[in-house]
Amino acid sequence: MQQLILDIRPDTPKRFGNFVAGANAEVLARLEAATRADAVETLYLYGPPGSGRSHLLEATRRESQRPTLHLAGATAGDFDPAPGTLLLVDDVEQLDETAQIALFRAFNAARRDRLALVLAGREAPLRLPLREDLRTRVGSALVFEIKPLSDAEKAHTLLTQAQARGMRLEADLVDYLLRHGRRDLPSLLAVLDALDAASLERKRPPTLPLLREVMQGALPL
Amino acid sequence: MNSSAFWTVCLNRFEQELSQQQFQTWIKTLRTEDAAHDNGTQRVRVIAPNRFVLQWVRERYLRRIEELGQEYFDTPVSITLTLPEAGSAPQPAVVVNKPAVAPTAPTAPEVATPVESPIVALQQPLPEAAAYDKTRLNADFTFDTLVTGRANDLARAAAMQVSQNPGVSYNPLFVYGGVGLGKTHLIHALGNEVLRRNPRAIVRYVHAEDYYADVVRAYQQKSFDVFKRYYRSLDLLLIDDIQFFNNKNRTQEEFFHAFNALTEAKKQIVITCDTYPKDIQGLEDRLISRFDWGLTVQIEPPELEMRVAILNKKAESERIRLSEDVAFLIAKNLRSNVRELEGALKKVLAFARFHGRDISLELAKEALKDLLGAYNRQISLDTIQKTVADYYKIKVADMYSKKRTRAIARPRQVAMWLAKELTPESYPAIGDAFGGRDHTTVLHAYRTISELRLGDHGLNHDLHVLTQVLRG
Repeated sequence: MQQLILDIRPDTPKRFGNFVAGANAEVLARLEAATRADAVETLYLYGPPGSGRSHLLEATRRESQRPTLHLAGATAGDFDPAPGTLLLVDDVEQLDETAQIALFRAFNAARRDRLALVLAGREAPLRLPLREDLRTRVGSALVFEIKPLSDAEKAHTLLTQAQARGMRLEADLVDYLLRHGRRDLPSLLAVLDALDAASLERKRPPTLPLLREVMQGALPL
Repeated sequence: MNSSAFWTVCLNRFEQELSQQQFQTWIKTLRTEDAAHDNGTQRVRVIAPNRFVLQWVRERYLRRIEELGQEYFDTPVSITLTLPEAGSAPQPAVVVNKPAVAPTAPTAPEVATPVESPIVALQQPLPEAAAYDKTRLNADFTFDTLVTGRANDLARAAAMQVSQNPGVSYNPLFVYGGVGLGKTHLIHALGNEVLRRNPRAIVRYVHAEDYYADVVRAYQQKSFDVFKRYYRSLDLLLIDDIQFFNNKNRTQEEFFHAFNALTEAKKQIVITCDTYPKDIQGLEDRLISRFDWGLTVQIEPPELEMRVAILNKKAESERIRLSEDVAFLIAKNLRSNVRELEGALKKVLAFARFHGRDISLELAKEALKDLLGAYNRQISLDTIQKTVADYYKIKVADMYSKKRTRAIARPRQVAMWLAKELTPESYPAIGDAFGGRDHTTVLHAYRTISELRLGDHGLNHDLHVLTQVLRG
């Protein structure tokens, strides 16, 4: 009989402290500065899905010490941040025409109303599919490309993530994972989740043979 | 030691450091009024004749004044910038030394308690400050900070002309040009210049979107009378991005009436737009035809030399000297508009500051990678194989062939190394792409190349070049 698992993921709140910065320390420092009341910063972070920009935006919202408006590009609609607001907009490439105008207005009002703008998207400003007057404003922000982590940083992330899930992960498992799996962080964490689930269902510790089975897709999940 | 002697030194230094115009406009109009020594901190109070100068000096010269103060008094100096007290007669721009004696204003205790008074003075909402805020002008945008080149010299000359004779020379002044070329800067400069010449002028900068919002509000609150009265009371109306009026009929109608009223009263209107008047979409003809009454000038994208000049000017305002090769590198990479050009400079300066490094060509290149997107570009294994094969002048097919001669095996290993470094593909997937090789072969190749590059400069150079080519 199969052990049913209670599907509770350890949902650790996203904070600056648990973001593995790697080569991204400068971004982190800038974001922290933007959370301070009255700081006037305009930042744009970009990187492919899984690079950590949403984590950073959420962490910024949590750590913010000022009125904060956090919007997703696809559902932003019309908005009008009050003076002093920290405005966070994720997935800017998904802003519709109305939302683009709203963001354009926010850019123009930023200096007068002491707004901080932290925007995130997939592409470099030069390639953003936005109105040209808005696109160039994004391009005038302080732009950061989220840099991928090194192998050592990925291993570190895997170990801490495993710990958060209450798994005891041996170093050789991490090595194996990095050597045999896709090495972007979302893929690695997905395997970790699958291993966790398999381990609980089978009542087997997360060992190399189990990891191998999981990665070969031998186990129905 | 007193502030008067210090101020004389300060003026002398600024006179040497700044252009004559800057010195006359900003520094010479300041005066010091009182200085006190308090708990080891030297306090100096600097008084600006109006809010405009105050804001400008605070943003541009305050730090320098503090530096000079530190140098002069040999102790940290607290400089307080204030406006003259309400009611006190405007004083000439000369150094006044008044130790512990009240100025002409009746609020004598202010000077007697120098520790708190400057703060109080700053917090008082002074009529001049409020008046400048109402213009919605940006004190940073002046003719002084505007770099001129072939791309904008006509527009600048016209704006200068208008600022000297508002309402008389060209009405309206219509400035058009692409995105991010400095239209907004130019009309703010015009507004600031009008105010400088006539501090009583009622100036208002408004973005077309905000004008539209005002119309909507007037609608909702049934307050069109107030709205009309306000806009017709202006001496100078600067309206930005008029293309935003497209298909907003009520807004266009209101603007049409405001336009007529203002021009009839010889009040100046300045308009910016992203296109030539005749090409504006969704605007009533009667409005467009009125734009032709005055002068229409274009701002074009700046050529390379002007972009370099813009960067130098911007860096100068940050008190940083930019070497020619760095300015050239930035100007070469960002061509289409000034806004992103300045964004790029901001990036380079922030990067240097954060890492505590000097601004060199190397550093600028590194900083600009973020702007151009070097790290996360999707690179396929195919691209890597093709690029490496081209580079070493072997056939792409050799990448997956069984041949093991050095001339082929080494490039293949290089390609595998690049695949590991530049893509998230797994080792087995990389092995597959190289003719179904085992993942241990990929791992071996990666290790071999990583070790060899340490001692082999040629190989190391190849890897650098290939990485650069692939990242674009």
